[in-house]
Amino acid sequence: MAEVATADVSHDDHHHEHEQTFWSKYVFSTDHKIIGFQYLFTGIAMAIIGGYFAYVFRMQLAFPGSSVPFFGIVSPSAYNSLVTNHGTIMIFWVAMPVLIAAMGNFLIPLMIGCDDMVFPRVNRLSYQIFLLSAIVLIASFFVPGGGFGGAWTAYPPLSALAKYNATPFGAPMWLIAVALEIVAFLLGGINFITTAMNARAKGMRMYDIPIVVWMIVIASMLFMASVGPLVAGAVMLLFDQTLGTTFFDASAGGDPVLWQHLFWFFGHPEVYVVLLPAMGIVAEVMCTFARKKLFGYKLILYATVGLGILSFFVWAHHQFISGVDPRAAYLFTTTTLLISIPVAIMLFAYIATLYGGSIQFTTAMLFALSFLAEFLIGGVTGIWLGSSGTDIYLHDTYFVLAHFHYTFFPIAIIGTFTAIYYWYPKMFGRMMNETWGKIHFWGTIIAFNGIFLPLFFLGAAGQHRRIYNYQNFPDLAGDNMQDLRVFATISLVIMLLFQIPFVINFIVSLKRGKKAGKNPWKANTLEWVAPSPPPHGNFPDGMPEVYRGPYEFAHPDREDDYWPQNEPGNQKPANK
Amino acid sequence: MAGNSLKKYNRIYVALLILFIVSVLGPEIADIFGMEGLSRMALILPTAFGIAIVKAYMVAAHFMHLKTEKIYAPYILLVSLALMVVFFFGVKIDIMASEGHNWEKPYKEPTESSASHHGDHSESHDDDH
Repeated sequence: MAEVATADVSHDDHHHEHEQTFWSKYVFSTDHKIIGFQYLFTGIAMAIIGGYFAYVFRMQLAFPGSSVPFFGIVSPSAYNSLVTNHGTIMIFWVAMPVLIAAMGNFLIPLMIGCDDMVFPRVNRLSYQIFLLSAIVLIASFFVPGGGFGGAWTAYPPLSALAKYNATPFGAPMWLIAVALEIVAFLLGGINFITTAMNARAKGMRMYDIPIVVWMIVIASMLFMASVGPLVAGAVMLLFDQTLGTTFFDASAGGDPVLWQHLFWFFGHPEVYVVLLPAMGIVAEVMCTFARKKLFGYKLILYATVGLGILSFFVWAHHQFISGVDPRAAYLFTTTTLLISIPVAIMLFAYIATLYGGSIQFTTAMLFALSFLAEFLIGGVTGIWLGSSGTDIYLHDTYFVLAHFHYTFFPIAIIGTFTAIYYWYPKMFGRMMNETWGKIHFWGTIIAFNGIFLPLFFLGAAGQHRRIYNYQNFPDLAGDNMQDLRVFATISLVIMLLFQIPFVINFIVSLKRGKKAGKNPWKANTLEWVAPSPPPHGNFPDGMPEVYRGPYEFAHPDREDDYWPQNEPGNQKPANK
Repeated sequence: MAGNSLKKYNRIYVALLILFIVSVLGPEIADIFGMEGLSRMALILPTAFGIAIVKAYMVAAHFMHLKTEKIYAPYILLVSLALMVVFFFGVKIDIMASEGHNWEKPYKEPTESSASHHGDHSESHDDDH
């Protein structure tokens, strides 16, 4: 028990850190903030790669056969590889590192008032393995045969044998990269859970923890509980690819559906693993900018736990037409429809938080509000896909694709932007430019809807996924459908161009932004007690003590409309 | 403190060894006496599987420190065990069933003539060990 870190275990180290070299300070750092930035910037770099892939294959779909600027002619195998790796990168190397790892690393110790993660070296190892996994994935694009092209779900038999997927090196490397990435996040998840449970500031009870910390912790638990089957499946698939076993080869007694179970038993909780941190980020931002206490803190928390439990009982809704037992479809349809209840509770609680608030439309708040709106569209369209009857028609069409982009885009992209615009002052000590932020916001949101609304119509009209060139299918090559594809592609290009103001704003604000001070948004949680940017050890003025819940805005006993968690008061408002 | 815990671990180690011997002896005795049917099950189930559960509990509780951890640590472990059961029964209906309404999944024993080279490969592996 002696090695369990307490809130101020490494206070004596503070004087040694000033002579650190660039390498020890930024590359081999064990500081949770630096590791968070490493994850953040690696994630952003991977997002640029994933966005570039999307641009290339959308151009191919809109203007089939023509040479794509900055790429060239897209061959069918290159198209498959681009689509596969776009999905893989965006989920495993963008949403996961940015939302869980970067935000978890940066926020958890600051928000619970401790000086670092409880296992700083495990934390560093986690990032290093993650970086290795990213390098393996990127390297797989350049091996003979090219990158893996069997979709991010890697269904066998296509993924199992090189004679089917024609990527003898790309497919195993893809699997190894995914497995390494999972190891990295398991190490990170252990850290998040242990830190939040053991290293909270004095006085911080379970229900005084900011909701985003809860969300990241619950997401880490979901990840840890769900990932076992995928790792087992990945090893089996790797053996099928390289050693000649036949776990998934039907011709020799194996069963390809087994992989689908192994994959989706992980894959569906994974959706909630990335959703929950984004929901938490949005809750923090909405409370601060509505100047309101979070509506139903406990309700949201319990709904989250319920969501987590239910998420383990829905996985086969991805397999309704894969030849699973039709009786199972009843069961999984029911659980899938049930899982919309906790999500709806959370969304309603967020909307109720806004009611009667004094709302400030900062860029972070705009992104948070758009998260609710866009995610709602994604969630509601999921109802049709979760019902086994309608899914038989809609399965593997662009309707599915539009649905999950309406969930993942708010999660991974809007959630990330919300977090960056909100915590940028804390991360780098300076404010971002709000005008350019709003230009970025409107350009991103309008263009995003321009991409994916047409895809709903295309999907409902029967446009199948994973087709390289729709001109080969007369039913799908009509003028109207091609016009919608062109519209979606142009919207994508516009959206990507609107990221340039963000990048410039981000970089320029590092040097030129207005000094932020400790608490620019007048928020309550403990990270705003630390200086901006927080030094090594986070709280140079002594570790904070917590006297109240995280969302005491507009409290009647107080003149200021906010009441930081660490300020002593004559009474302790009940937030239980 | 350290000596004490070492003693404790040694005791647990010896206990595990004794349990291991019992779990090996149980099925052996069933074979030696040629027990069949219910009495065979009555002997083998508790000695092999029952003792395996006891041993797993002792390892988890002491060597994995679950006894001294906060209460949520064993809960997480129990949850993952429960999820394993969920996964097993969710998958069982698809993977392990060999027939249903209007369909069947015949298992073909790999033979010399029909087996692919994969089958041969795994066969020879089994022989080696």
